[in-house]
Amino acid sequence: MSEHPSHASFAALLPLAAAGALDIHQQRSLEEHARECEACRRELEIWSGYSQALRRLPPPAIPAQLMERTRRRLVQEHAAAADRRWDELMLGALALFAWTVGLTFWFVARLVTGGELVVMGANLVRFGTWTAGSTVLVWLTAAVAALALGRRRREFRRAL
Amino acid sequence: MILAAIMNREMNPEMNREALDGAQDAIVRMRRGDPDALTALISRYQHRLYRYLLRLVREPAAADDLFQQTWLRVMEKIGRYDASRNFESWLFSVAHNLAVDAWRGQRGDNLAEADESSQPPSERLPSGDPGALERLLDFERGAALAACMHQLPAIHREVLTLRFEEDMKLEEIAEVAGVPLSTVKSRLHRALEGLRAAMDTRIPGRKGI
Repeated sequence: MSEHPSHASFAALLPLAAAGALDIHQQRSLEEHARECEACRRELEIWSGYSQALRRLPPPAIPAQLMERTRRRLVQEHAAAADRRWDELMLGALALFAWTVGLTFWFVARLVTGGELVVMGANLVRFGTWTAGSTVLVWLTAAVAALALGRRRREFRRAL
Repeated sequence: MILAAIMNREMNPEMNREALDGAQDAIVRMRRGDPDALTALISRYQHRLYRYLLRLVREPAAADDLFQQTWLRVMEKIGRYDASRNFESWLFSVAHNLAVDAWRGQRGDNLAEADESSQPPSERLPSGDPGALERLLDFERGAALAACMHQLPAIHREVLTLRFEEDMKLEEIAEVAGVPLSTVKSRLHRALEGLRAAMDTRIPGRKGI
């Protein structure tokens, strides 16, 4: 550390010194310099004045009911998120239920028909045909049921 | 002596410890699904968060909306909040990011200038109070300074409010603004220089604040 920082380089540090933003080493060097330098001491006083005035700025008035409006918005958002989760859960549960019913019926239908139920040239109890048909039916039914249940739940909540 | 006072202020770790402990307790309760915990957190930080947002965006309506959005985001992300991080820095960084997104939508910092109070300072002071004149002068100095701060770019207003009004450490400011420490220092330097230049223009010939 043979370099001797110039007056200008110390002067450049003054705003940050007043803001408490110098590291301990810089702060000490500046302190030593300011002991000898009248101009820097005066400047530091000015910057410290700014720093103190900024800390004492009058706080803005918070809008009336901001807390209450925020709380209401949070409650609404929380309820909407809960509804979305419930709809997704219901859709999944209903789809699973419909799949189980579909597979059970397929198994029963194969037992009853002996593995062959031909309608318009297609064997309905073949696994592929049954799966394709029941998939469309299952998802449509589940989606409609989930929507209906969700709407009913929201109407019930609104009525409360 | 001035430098020593600044250093002492900087090295005082007791300042917000109690407040932080209370916040951590509310965060734990919020994660457990306690509905009152978020209200407690909002109540604790409402003034500081609103002040920060207002300094940043300048427009009360925008600050109001961002305030609400910030808490919605907090509610949404509290499960992912790392408890080893400083909650205040995290909260302000959520607000910062939402403000940046809002600006991107509006293409620039061109919000209308708004005076936060239309009430004249003299009407705020009780008559016959011996400290009234000093407080009036203080208020006028504060009002002039706030007006000059208003003219600065948003990044400079942000660093000034976080450093001086929120009393955040430089590392915390860096976390909030998502920039390196060196950038925070240079912004702080430029912000103070800009503020002083604006004050000198406003009140020519004046040496100090």
